[in-house]
Amino acid sequence: MTNNQLYLSKYRNLSNSKFIKMLGISPLGIILFIILAIAPLFMNNQYILHLYASSLMFGALAMGFDFTAGFINIVNFGYAAFVGVGAYTAALLVINLGISPWLGIVAGALVSSVLGFFTGFLTLRLRGMFAALMAWFLGITLMSLASNLVDLTRGQLGLNVPMIFTTTDKTPYVYTILVIMAIGYVSFRKITSSNIGLAFRAIGQDIEAAHSSGVDSTKYKVFNFTVSCFFAGLIGGFYGFFVGILTPAMMHTRVTVEILVLAYIGGRGSLWGSLLAALLIIPIFEYLKPMMEIRLVIYGLLLVLVMIFYPGGLAQLYQNILDLFKTKSVSER
Amino acid sequence: MELSAILDILIAGIVRGGLFVMMALGLSIIFGVMNIPNFAHGEFYMIGAYVAYFANAVYGLNPILSIVLAALGGFCFGALIEKTAFSTLRRRSEGNWVMNSFLLTAGISIMLQNIAQAIMGVKYMGIRNYWEGNINILPNVSISIDRFAAFTIAMVTVLLFWAFLNKTKTGNSIRAVSENESGAMLVGINLDKVFSLTFALGAMLAAIAGAALLSINPAYPTIGLAPLYKSWYVVILVGMGNIWGTIIGGFIVGLIEAFSYYNLGAGWQDVVSLIIIMIILALKPSGLFGKSVKGVWDR
Repeated sequence: MTNNQLYLSKYRNLSNSKFIKMLGISPLGIILFIILAIAPLFMNNQYILHLYASSLMFGALAMGFDFTAGFINIVNFGYAAFVGVGAYTAALLVINLGISPWLGIVAGALVSSVLGFFTGFLTLRLRGMFAALMAWFLGITLMSLASNLVDLTRGQLGLNVPMIFTTTDKTPYVYTILVIMAIGYVSFRKITSSNIGLAFRAIGQDIEAAHSSGVDSTKYKVFNFTVSCFFAGLIGGFYGFFVGILTPAMMHTRVTVEILVLAYIGGRGSLWGSLLAALLIIPIFEYLKPMMEIRLVIYGLLLVLVMIFYPGGLAQLYQNILDLFKTKSVSER
Repeated sequence: MELSAILDILIAGIVRGGLFVMMALGLSIIFGVMNIPNFAHGEFYMIGAYVAYFANAVYGLNPILSIVLAALGGFCFGALIEKTAFSTLRRRSEGNWVMNSFLLTAGISIMLQNIAQAIMGVKYMGIRNYWEGNINILPNVSISIDRFAAFTIAMVTVLLFWAFLNKTKTGNSIRAVSENESGAMLVGINLDKVFSLTFALGAMLAAIAGAALLSINPAYPTIGLAPLYKSWYVVILVGMGNIWGTIIGGFIVGLIEAFSYYNLGAGWQDVVSLIIIMIILALKPSGLFGKSVKGVWDR
């Protein structure tokens, strides 16, 4: 190997690691992302592709939820309504003004984040439960507006949304949501590993201590809330074009709770745990569909058990397994 | 608007308000004593409605007896859930109690709703009325005996509850715990007992509300969401830990609801409620009668 080649390969290694660092994902994470991207190639069934896209979508939603719940410890109980605002905005703009769906999705995300900003601005000065409850009230109000503004949203009849892609093949949808999810994950990681993320954790763990260290908690909380709502609106926009019909029921508290369960089973503050939980739980529940209510009882029971016995969720499980290996290798020596 | 129409709305608002008072009181006492923001409160309302339905419509029991049975059912369910879920969480909790217990109640709410749906199915189970007939208050203003009875039951229950908290030793120990937990423990109050009793009583209040309103709102697996929302609304509106404030707040919310429903229709009624609470939170974050946002909200 000549000097030149050695230099080149070294340079390449360096740039690779820098690139990975820039994304804020561990090499293991990159491999898993690649697996997620290759997986659809082996799915030759539209039903499975649809299920895969739904799982990714709920995983991404739970991740955005976790960004608020897991870091600044505020439960956005109107999360589904913010998703709905993004979805309705995008769909209505595309239907009435005929703009491109992609532009519509971004517009939906912007409207949702503006709404999130004002909600946060008004409630996040107060303690966590206030914000949770006010977001919940807002969600209920938005849902009743969506079902009563029949001229605009067609209410309970449902708003038919045109598709983004002309094919009936689900593969482009899978890749769209995969890209949205990846953008979300990388941005959340970037934010949470910066100084801002440090402030988030300080606020989430002990708000008094954060205050006395000079952290302006309201500013960070509002920022966090706005980012989370932006992401909710972004996925909401996609949801409309993916499912093809919007009904007010998508903004129901039930939907928020479903997302919340995924985030907490995944492990708060881990981000990837939410995605893993969605990829495990959504398909299993789809196959359990004939069991009707029983599977939702199990869903509730899972949340109860995780909250009482295993508050760290899947992320804690992963950590415990890693620790197990570490202590083993130490004792072997 | 005619005078009789206004009176009708007033009566409707006060009757609804009476039931909101009962619900909100249960919520408020559970939060004040145990620091649990109870999201499963509506499910106790549902349990009360189902028990009353079976007692009255299926087994043909006397209305009063049905409501008492519903109260007992709510009490037992509340105690059971406290003993199994919350006391376990309390022993294992490592900080962040308010949020964790809130999520626990969300899980319990999903479970109870779907268990009810699995057993009862998705149909409305209601009765036409407990008692037939109307009472004339003014020559052309009348109220059905059922509504009047529901209101009376709510007021008697609230009065009894107030007397229990203030005049009995057990009631005093509940109040002591809500004021100062460690102080109460020091003077020999058994915290576990007080917590279980408080939760069971709060659940009981919700169950009575569900039973008393059975002829107006038939039992249904997800019936609890609306009363839950309204009672949280009352609690935020008036601020925490204030029994008289909760009572006044319940009536205010009942009247707001009745008037905005009459004038604007169902969709805008929620918008009006939201705008009112946004203004109040912006001007006085501790609520109408609350002294300070500090205290229980901080933990």
